[in-house]
Amino acid sequence: MATLTDNPLLSAGALEAVIRKGQDPDWLAEERRAALRTFDATPWPTERDEDWRYTQLQRFAVTNLEPTDGPASREVSERIRMRMEDSDAEGILVHANGETIERVAKIREEGVIFSDLRSAVRDHEDIVREHLYSTVNAHAGKYHALNAAFWQNGTFVYVPKNVEVELPLGAFTTADRGGLSMGRTLIVVEDNAKVTFLDEYTSDSFDGRLFHGAAAEIVLGPGAKVRYLSLQNWGRNVAHMNRLSAKLGRDARLEALTVSVGGDAARAEVHSTMQGPGSESEMLGLYFADKGQHYNQYTLQHHEADHAFSDVLFKGALRDASHAVYSGIIVVDEGAQKTDAYQTNRNLLLDADSEAVSIPQLQIGANDVRCSHGSTTGPVPEDQRFYLMSRGMRPEVAEHLLVTGFLYEVMSRVTLPKAAEYVERVVQAKLGVPGVKEKL
Amino acid sequence: MKEDLVADAPMQHPDADKLVGMEHEKQYDFQLPENYFYRSEKGLDARVIEKISYFKGEPQWMLDFRLKALEIAEKKGPPKWGPDLSGLNFEDIYFYIRPQEKQGTSKSWDDIPEEVRETYRRLGIPEAEQKVLAGVGAQYESEMVYHNLKEEWEKQGVIFLDTDTGLKEHPEIFKEYFATVVPPEDNYYAAVNSAVWSGGSFVYVPAGVDVDVPLQAYFLLNAQQIGQFERTLIIVEPGAKAHYIEGCTAPTYDSDSFHSGVIEIIAKENSNVRYSTIQNWSHNVYNLVTQRAMVYDNASMGWLDGNLGSKVTMKYPSCYLVGNGAHGEVLSIAFAGDGQHQDAGAKVIHAAPNTTSSVVSKSISKGSGTSSYRGLVQIHEGATNAKSNVECDALLLDETSKTNTYPYIEINEKTAHVGHEATVSKLNEEQIFYLQSRGLAEDEAMALIVRGFLEPVAKELPLEYAVELNRLIELEMEGSVG
Repeated sequence: MATLTDNPLLSAGALEAVIRKGQDPDWLAEERRAALRTFDATPWPTERDEDWRYTQLQRFAVTNLEPTDGPASREVSERIRMRMEDSDAEGILVHANGETIERVAKIREEGVIFSDLRSAVRDHEDIVREHLYSTVNAHAGKYHALNAAFWQNGTFVYVPKNVEVELPLGAFTTADRGGLSMGRTLIVVEDNAKVTFLDEYTSDSFDGRLFHGAAAEIVLGPGAKVRYLSLQNWGRNVAHMNRLSAKLGRDARLEALTVSVGGDAARAEVHSTMQGPGSESEMLGLYFADKGQHYNQYTLQHHEADHAFSDVLFKGALRDASHAVYSGIIVVDEGAQKTDAYQTNRNLLLDADSEAVSIPQLQIGANDVRCSHGSTTGPVPEDQRFYLMSRGMRPEVAEHLLVTGFLYEVMSRVTLPKAAEYVERVVQAKLGVPGVKEKL
Repeated sequence: MKEDLVADAPMQHPDADKLVGMEHEKQYDFQLPENYFYRSEKGLDARVIEKISYFKGEPQWMLDFRLKALEIAEKKGPPKWGPDLSGLNFEDIYFYIRPQEKQGTSKSWDDIPEEVRETYRRLGIPEAEQKVLAGVGAQYESEMVYHNLKEEWEKQGVIFLDTDTGLKEHPEIFKEYFATVVPPEDNYYAAVNSAVWSGGSFVYVPAGVDVDVPLQAYFLLNAQQIGQFERTLIIVEPGAKAHYIEGCTAPTYDSDSFHSGVIEIIAKENSNVRYSTIQNWSHNVYNLVTQRAMVYDNASMGWLDGNLGSKVTMKYPSCYLVGNGAHGEVLSIAFAGDGQHQDAGAKVIHAAPNTTSSVVSKSISKGSGTSSYRGLVQIHEGATNAKSNVECDALLLDETSKTNTYPYIEINEKTAHVGHEATVSKLNEEQIFYLQSRGLAEDEAMALIVRGFLEPVAKELPLEYAVELNRLIELEMEGSVG
């Protein structure tokens, strides 16, 4: 059994350099040091750990990676330019290898803050201090402790009470060299405010191997509404470790979509805590693994309060000896009566070499609830393929259409037209639909 | 020794009246004098195992097997997952008790000692019933004391013995199949059982024989702190058919008991095997059982698993579908009352083409009870056209009741069709109201709805078990209002 090992470059001395470079205030420096202590005290996950038993751990190893100190080039790459032009987002930050290299923002609403996280620590210290580490901290696990200690930069969004940000905001995280990079997104939306945010991870292929650790914290005040998209389309030499944790106040609503189509290996953990009665959380996921890609998606719907609603739908397709894990749990605390919680995972297996694992779980501690889950795994339905062929379609065209349609159900539940089109193009390119690759 | 036992054997579980209805208590809460001529020391070590093997007069290979299993158990250690087993202390358990009765000699009901018969009567097993039941293998303490097998079966070549006698009388069959389905390496409790096993049933059905009346064994637990480690081995040859029924119920005690059985079934080509069990251990028993069947070409294996009693149960009947066209089925019901944790479930491994499986789980949690479904469906590469469907329904009766569902689904084959569904609900108030408007008392209405919820499983049971199940549900539901 392969085991993960420490990286000597992640030392207390290295952390002091990070603190000095960012001119962190004392409280943040202390938080980082405490996180490093937790990191050191936490063992690396092994296959004996229930949450990691299906994870190919070596593909997330950080042992020989050096923390990156900015990109090789501070120029915004052609790829990112194209993506920026084709994005639903109107306010955009670009992070490359842990440094922010571009900011474009067209925000009309007053009081809205949209900046990189380091600047926010300096310019809006009180708000950042109140919410940073409030949903993802060092105790969330080994990799999250690593991020909590060493995060280089990230995105900060703040929307004051009763403000609805009309145009979506977003950030592109990219890289042009290998190593270890860590980013963080902090989104704070006050009472009855509203925002849409797109976190996109994308890169061309480059030399070396990159491990990117991402953490997204979303804090929703009473009645707040957040739509959040995490789109991972890294180059094939990247391992991506991502945790999204949201906490919802009374009657708040979250719509989160996590898309995994790139990278070598990716793990997405999506956690939602219904703290306020009447809050609603819709958590969607889409993944398409090919050519040996390895994806993990772990969801948590935690119902602390009564009368809340949550719904998870994760759909994925696999081919070419790839491997995907979906594991989700609905936890209903004692007293969280009138909970409405659902969970669905559907997998499409396109060849015999691929493997899908599905573990939809329930842990129910209140009796007046409606909870259900479902999971299906199977091939492209033969009758549907037959029907399309009877209408004159070639078999491969029928398959392309059915796979795209299967996955599109998820995208269609989020009204982000450009993102939806882009994901569809990526899926088609992976399927080998002629003429699509050029448009990416 | 006798005085000793009586002195430290309080008559009643302190929470007995809370755990079960009064009538239930009256019916089950009793104890009989205990007469043993050998009881092992408390705790588990090589010396205890050597003694067990010596008293049984076993061949050397079995002693070697036991000692190796102990080593494996010590190396493995208890599992880190699952329900709380901290109340289970091996230091405090007798791993072997041999009853005074010499096993295997009883031929008719009249030969059974009066106190054993009294126990059966108090459990509500009518004397007449045993005439109907084909053969009753009753386990009193750790060994089989009673066996009655219909003569025609003997002519057909069916073997139905306690496992110890099976080892003595049919060593060649025994050695060929024993521990091939559940090796001691499989899990910690299987290793413990392999080291100290005692009793259980040994069934052999020759090719083409249809055993049309169920084979039954009643089990009893009747000494304080006794460990009960039955080991059942069922071999059904090609084209044969058999239904084995195991029911257990135990008087209540005040210190924790431990029950860890291993059931191995070999269902050969075109055979049809059913194994039905309803456990109703007293609410202080830790019941950790490994049940597994190897299912060959076009054979069909069905488990019916009912869990009503015990403090903690961990039991996941499994089917290894290793032959083309093999079929596996698990029907599981669990009732977790106050303080109980029923961690039940099912495992199905599809390792051959055209295999099919179906799992239906129904659980009910009442008071502070927790019931869990823990399952695994695995489709191996090359197991083409496998189909599997799992359905779990949970009913929560009270605000403090809990339910968990942990299904693991691992698919390595493109042509597999696998589905899983689970729902959680509470008792429907409209249904209760309707039944009350028709003149039923509230608890009667609730009991009726609960029985209806279990109906899909109950109807698969032989009549006398279905009746017993319904009676138990009624008793459990008594006094659940207000």
